[in-house]
Amino acid sequence: MKKLYLVTALMIVASIILTACGAPATTAPTQAPVTSAPTEAMTEAPTAAATEAPTQAATQAPSGQAPDCTKPDVFCVGFVTDVGKIDDKSFNQTAWEGVQKAQSDGVANWVQYIETTDSKDYDKNIATFADAGYDMVVTWGFALTDATYNAAKQYPNTFFVGGDQFLSKDDNHPDWPLANLVGVVYNEDQSGFLVGALAAMVSKSHKLGAVCGTDAVPPVWRYGEGYKAGAAYEDAKNSTKTEVTVVYHSDVGFDKTFTDPTWGADTANSMIDKGADAIFGCGGKTGNGAVDAAAQRKVYAIGVDTDQYFTLPEAASQMLSSAMKPETQPVADIIKLAKDGKFPTGGLYAGPSGYAPYHDLASAVPANVDAEMQALLAGLTDGSIKTNVPPVKPAQ
Amino acid sequence: MDWRRFAVIALIIAIMFGTVVLVGFSQSSPLLIVTSMLATTIAVATPLTLGALSGIYCERSGVVNIGIEGMMLGAAFFGWLASIYMNTVFHMPGMLSLFIGVLAAILTGGLFALLHAMLSITFKVDQIIGGTVINILAVGITGFLNRQMFFGKGSVFGGQVPHSPGILPRIHIPFLADIPTFGRIFEQQPITIAALILVIVTHYVLFNTRWGLRTRAVGEHPRAADTVGINVIRMRYINVIIGGFLAGLGGAYFTLESISSFEPLMTNGRGFIALAAMIFGNWTPFGAWAAALVFGAAQALQINLQFFRTLIPPQWSFLQNSYVVGLAPYILTMLILTGLIGKTIPPAADGKPYEK
Amino acid sequence: MQSSNEPGFIKNLRQWLEPLIVPLLAIITAVILGGLIIKSVGGDPFAAYRGLVQGAFGSKKALSETAVWATPYIFAGLAVAFAFKGGLFNIGAEGQLAFGAVAAALIGYALPKWLGHDIPAFIHIPLAVGLGMLAGGLWAAIPGALKAYTGGHEVINTIMMNYIALNITSFLLNGPMKDPNPLNVVARTPAIAKSARIAPIFDGLRVHWGFVLALLVALLIWWILQKTTLGFEIRTVGSNPDAAKYAGINVQRTIIISMAISGMLAGLAGAIEVTALNYRHELGFAVGYGFDAIAIALLGKTNPFGVVLAAILFGAMRNGGTRMQFLTQIPVDIISVIQALILLFVAADAIIRFIYRIRVREERVVLTRGWGG
Repeated sequence: MKKLYLVTALMIVASIILTACGAPATTAPTQAPVTSAPTEAMTEAPTAAATEAPTQAATQAPSGQAPDCTKPDVFCVGFVTDVGKIDDKSFNQTAWEGVQKAQSDGVANWVQYIETTDSKDYDKNIATFADAGYDMVVTWGFALTDATYNAAKQYPNTFFVGGDQFLSKDDNHPDWPLANLVGVVYNEDQSGFLVGALAAMVSKSHKLGAVCGTDAVPPVWRYGEGYKAGAAYEDAKNSTKTEVTVVYHSDVGFDKTFTDPTWGADTANSMIDKGADAIFGCGGKTGNGAVDAAAQRKVYAIGVDTDQYFTLPEAASQMLSSAMKPETQPVADIIKLAKDGKFPTGGLYAGPSGYAPYHDLASAVPANVDAEMQALLAGLTDGSIKTNVPPVKPAQ
Repeated sequence: MDWRRFAVIALIIAIMFGTVVLVGFSQSSPLLIVTSMLATTIAVATPLTLGALSGIYCERSGVVNIGIEGMMLGAAFFGWLASIYMNTVFHMPGMLSLFIGVLAAILTGGLFALLHAMLSITFKVDQIIGGTVINILAVGITGFLNRQMFFGKGSVFGGQVPHSPGILPRIHIPFLADIPTFGRIFEQQPITIAALILVIVTHYVLFNTRWGLRTRAVGEHPRAADTVGINVIRMRYINVIIGGFLAGLGGAYFTLESISSFEPLMTNGRGFIALAAMIFGNWTPFGAWAAALVFGAAQALQINLQFFRTLIPPQWSFLQNSYVVGLAPYILTMLILTGLIGKTIPPAADGKPYEK
Repeated sequence: MQSSNEPGFIKNLRQWLEPLIVPLLAIITAVILGGLIIKSVGGDPFAAYRGLVQGAFGSKKALSETAVWATPYIFAGLAVAFAFKGGLFNIGAEGQLAFGAVAAALIGYALPKWLGHDIPAFIHIPLAVGLGMLAGGLWAAIPGALKAYTGGHEVINTIMMNYIALNITSFLLNGPMKDPNPLNVVARTPAIAKSARIAPIFDGLRVHWGFVLALLVALLIWWILQKTTLGFEIRTVGSNPDAAKYAGINVQRTIIISMAISGMLAGLAGAIEVTALNYRHELGFAVGYGFDAIAIALLGKTNPFGVVLAAILFGAMRNGGTRMQFLTQIPVDIISVIQALILLFVAADAIIRFIYRIRVREERVVLTRGWGG
């Protein structure tokens, strides 16, 4: 009797393994090379005050069968996240929506995402798309910078778009810029500056708070410091004194710093206890927790990366604005450019800065404040106003 | 737990509070600082207290439970799910939905605990394994269902996270809550208040009732208890399930009282800290609560030092570094465990499956 | 049933295979249950598992990646299993691993600078790996000593040490050990010198000699436990500390040594990841391996060879999971559920025996003896 079970078990295991071997092997990408028109060094996307159309449809997993992406007329786009989730209601989600938009606009035939669960898998996940013949791989997150660069060199016929991946020519990246690689970079300090200025002008207690992820991540650092700079700018202009406190969740590891909403809520509550009446949540789900808590305590909440009025409905009534990092449109634009043979060269693509509309709180923002906000946006965009925030946190 | 340990804990908390007051008094009034820190301390300590109480029930009857983390996470998810269902699908009013959510969370904790009890008591599986299984199972199930229900192909709500009915409201204790500034401490949410009450209740039950005596007997000398006619197996089952209910209530805190959404892995190790609090507190309810307060105060210290970081004098600049400050409660726990400050004595039969 | 006129080699074969039956059936049962869960939410279990197996074993690259995943799992799993053999529950593998990685990275990038000249690989690599091992061992010896001399339970102390290790490594990687390259923005060390890097086995694939080392170390651990006096002492203290004391074994010393060796294995996991895979250490690398290691040690029933198999299984699942998600859009979280179910059935083998009507004699592994004191 025992032997029978053992044999049966071995047969089941063997058959499972055999089915895998029977599956078609991966094919090398065969694509007609896409010619890229020569363009100037850096392509600027048009800046806008209130940016993309609100996306009501939440993140959806792709459905249906994948077509054969190796065929030249089938344009497939893959999306690789950093360690984190596709549904983080800000960073990853918004960029993915840009990819989906490309599909719904008819530019891409098929789109797909892979969530990275361990930084060890970056290369593997990118290669999964590239080996399957995908025409473009979008990797989102600065930690994927090196993996994306290496993949771009290894797969010269595939386009690579890196979000938050700032590169320049150096010993580690001697061949930059590459014709098939572009990094989408933002001036998060400008968006932080804008919402900081807004909060400073609108606050009654003149105490502001920000709850962010770890400051070891440069975009987060820029958001936080930009927020302070914006408040200081308005202070100088209006002779007010605003206290701004930014607390970074640097005391936990990378795996937890953006996924700790309870800490975010506790920290926000602590700030509100001390009189803060505007809380800026800048750090994935940790920040979302802070925004949630702020809304519950009926103080102003400020979102990040996307117009969180739409992605955080429970905080919508208190959402004053959001520091915008418009990802959806630029990603969709780049995909279209690639398809049309005009992939942006020069290595970097500047995303716009901005702030979200006030929605339900429009009545709390007087006309002169609104005018000032638009002037600030214009000034930051044309360079006449500078935030003076260093791009990364200075080493201690 | 002996007075020495309580004294040390009180001293530590006083030092933590005092440090912040010293640093920040030029910017905020000391009363405000103390109030704010106390509020944060209580908020952070609530799930830890409930987790520790859960552990106490289990372990006092002789069953080691390291699966508190998984129980809280599972309860957080299913409680939140239930409240959303009630609100969105059955259109029940907000308060009722939340209440049902809390009940669902408690029940979920109990179900996980039932699994743990069956594994540990009936199947005599090693209790560490049982707890580990619960933890991994909870992470997997909640992560999977969270994704599948809201973002997957079969998503029940059409791919959109539905509007949550909010969080449990604060209860305004009359008269006390009207004290200026400090009165805020007397406006707390239901689960926080429940945690405090349960500490007292647990102490009374465990040390002043016959049932508590039987529980402890089963945890210390199960064979002797059996001889006297106490049903060891039944007592252990009941205590573990009660522990599950408490862990479930602790889980409900995360998604129904603190914030109104669920994130995978949101418990973030707090279940293990609760275990530490339980041991720190020598398996007594008041001791565990005091330990939970220490952890809460430590987090309050960390947050507030960042808040006042510009005011920290240069000779103490190490305080600006959140890594350094964050070490305090952990080192403290280890020191306590060395027995320098009183002996730590677990229930004698803790962890041993009972064989008739 | 065993018969006395069975030829010797059949009996030996049976002895080797019997312990495998229940884990194998446990895996199969868990896989079937997992498939049912997938089906219940609208997915296709066969496609899912096909994707999983293809991702784990379906090509040279897949096999290489599975080996890459398995390597730290083997080391860390051995660490936890070794401690279990000594009657100790080492949840601190996570922190010991982190220190192993930090130490190895430091020697890797800083030693040539301190000495002012290059170091040959045959010195540099053992130094980096060896010091990583020592760092992990020391970090575990602390809670070991606390347990031995004060009775403080290692579960809580090692959990605390994990948090402390996290804080210290965060501080180091954001501060003194941070890559000074102005273009580097991440909390990570500079790349280690070429002389400190362990080579891949094949060109173009990531699987490296660290994998081979892991297998050898598993053999070594088995040998230590079964064939040396120290191993005997450790196992005796693990199963019956009172008997050990009466037998004249120095229980306290043994506890510390057990934890130290356990920590060294965990440190080795971190050191190998740095020297053979990433060539630097970064905040965010190797997160969660210490906890996976607990499940792996339990699945392998604390037997070194079992641990190797369990580590390969878990590595295969983690590796193949992404391909499964890629092909079928089923969330990778289902992998955790299946892993938990496997663990559940292996641990509660009574369930499996009941379902499949097996009577198999097995050595009961004693892990918990309460909190001591």
